Amino acid sequence: MTHNSRIENSAEHHEVSALLPWYVNETLQERDRQRVDAHVGVCAGCRADLAAQLRICEAIAAQPAIDYMPVASLKRLMARLDAQAESAGTPPPPQEQATNRLAWRGWMAASIAAVAVAVALLVGNHWAQLDARQNQPNYRTVTSSAPRPQGEVIRAVFSPSITLVELQTILDEAQLRIISGPTEAGVYSLASNSTLTVRASLALLRQHSTVRFAERTSPEPEAGASP
Amino acid sequence: MILPVKNSPKERDSALLLAISAGDRRALEELYLSYHRRLARFLSRFTPRYENVEEIINDTFMVVWQSAKDFRNASQVSTWIIGIAYRTALKSFRRQKNHTGARSLEDYPEQTVDPTFDEEVSDWLKHGLSRLPMEQRLTLELAYQMGHSLEEIAAITDCPVGTVKARMFHAREKLRQYLPTLGGAPSDLSARIG
Repeated sequence: MTHNSRIENSAEHHEVSALLPWYVNETLQERDRQRVDAHVGVCAGCRADLAAQLRICEAIAAQPAIDYMPVASLKRLMARLDAQAESAGTPPPPQEQATNRLAWRGWMAASIAAVAVAVALLVGNHWAQLDARQNQPNYRTVTSSAPRPQGEVIRAVFSPSITLVELQTILDEAQLRIISGPTEAGVYSLASNSTLTVRASLALLRQHSTVRFAERTSPEPEAGASP
Repeated sequence: MILPVKNSPKERDSALLLAISAGDRRALEELYLSYHRRLARFLSRFTPRYENVEEIINDTFMVVWQSAKDFRNASQVSTWIIGIAYRTALKSFRRQKNHTGARSLEDYPEQTVDPTFDEEVSDWLKHGLSRLPMEQRLTLELAYQMGHSLEEIAAITDCPVGTVKARMFHAREKLRQYLPTLGGAPSDLSARIG
C-alpha cells in the first residue's frame, strides 16, 4: 500500500472530504478549517476534489439569476390574507383596507423620498464620521460597556425555547417593551411602558422561569424617590 | 405596534417577527420585501417560471404569517424562513416532477461531457444540476449559491448533519460521474457517511 493510498483510506480523509464543500463556502469553524488545511496539504485526492468543488462553486455563483420586482407578488399575498380573513369571518380592519388601496402609491413616493434623504444624510454623515474616526481608537475592549439605547431601563435574556407569544405576554405583564435586541448573546434592551416602577417590572420578570437574566441598567433611585 | 430599534439584520428580523405574531401586516410586508430577492434568486434556479417562484414565496409567507407566534428563538429567523421555503419548494417541485415526468441523473448513465471552456462548464453544470435528485440539488445550492453552513443546512432541511453530508456527497459523486474531468478524485465516502 502506497503512502497516498494509506492517506485516502484513513478515517481522517473521509471526514475531511465530507467537509470540503463548507471549506469552499468559508463557513467552517476555525478548528475544522485548520483540519482541512492540514489534510489537504498531504492528500492529493482531496486537493483535486477541492479544486473541483471550487470550480463548481464559482460556476454556480457566476450563473446569472433573474431579479424580480416583489411589489406585485406582495399585493397578491396581501389579497390572499384578505380573502382568508374574510372566509374566517374576520375582515381586515378598516385602516388596513384603506392602507391596501392607497399604500402603494404612497409607499413608493415615501420610499423615494426616504432614499433621497438617506443619501443626503449618508454623504453628510460620511465626512463627519471620517473625521470622528480619526480621533477614536478602532477597537473596543472586552470590559468596555456597549452603549445603552435611549430609554433602556432593563436588560434581559430569555430562554431560547420561549415563543414570541410567551415573550410578549411576559413583557405585557411587566409593562415593558423591547427597544433593541436580541444581541448575538441573546440580550434584549427593555424600556418601561408605563408608570410601573423599574423595580416592580424587574420583580415581575424574575418570577418567570423563562427569564434567564434580568438586571436594571438605569440608576437606582435615591431612597424615598418614586421609581 | 412600534417596532424596536434595529441594530442588525438578525435583530430586525426578530423584531419584525414579533410584530407579525401580533398581527402587524406592515411588518409582514417589510419582512417579505427583505427576503424576496434572496428567495427568488434561489428558487428561479429550479424553475424558469416566475409564477412558480412567486407561488412558493407567497406560500412560505402565508406560513410565516400563521406560525410567527410559534417561532422559538432557538433558531435564527432567517434559517426558519428559508426552512419553510425549502419544504414548500420541495413539495412544489415534486408536484411538477409528477406532471412533467422529469428524470434524475441515474436516467443518463452514459451521458458525460468534457468541457474545455468556462461556458461549457456552466452549460454542463446547468444540465448536471437539473438531473440531481431534488434534496441533493437543494443541499448543493444552499451551500454554494446561498453560502449556508453545514449546521444551517441541517436546520433548514430539518435533517441531521450526517444526512446533509451524505446528500452533498452523493451530489458531488453524481456530478463527478457526469463530468469526470471536473469531478476530482473518486471516493468511497458513501460507505462511511451514507
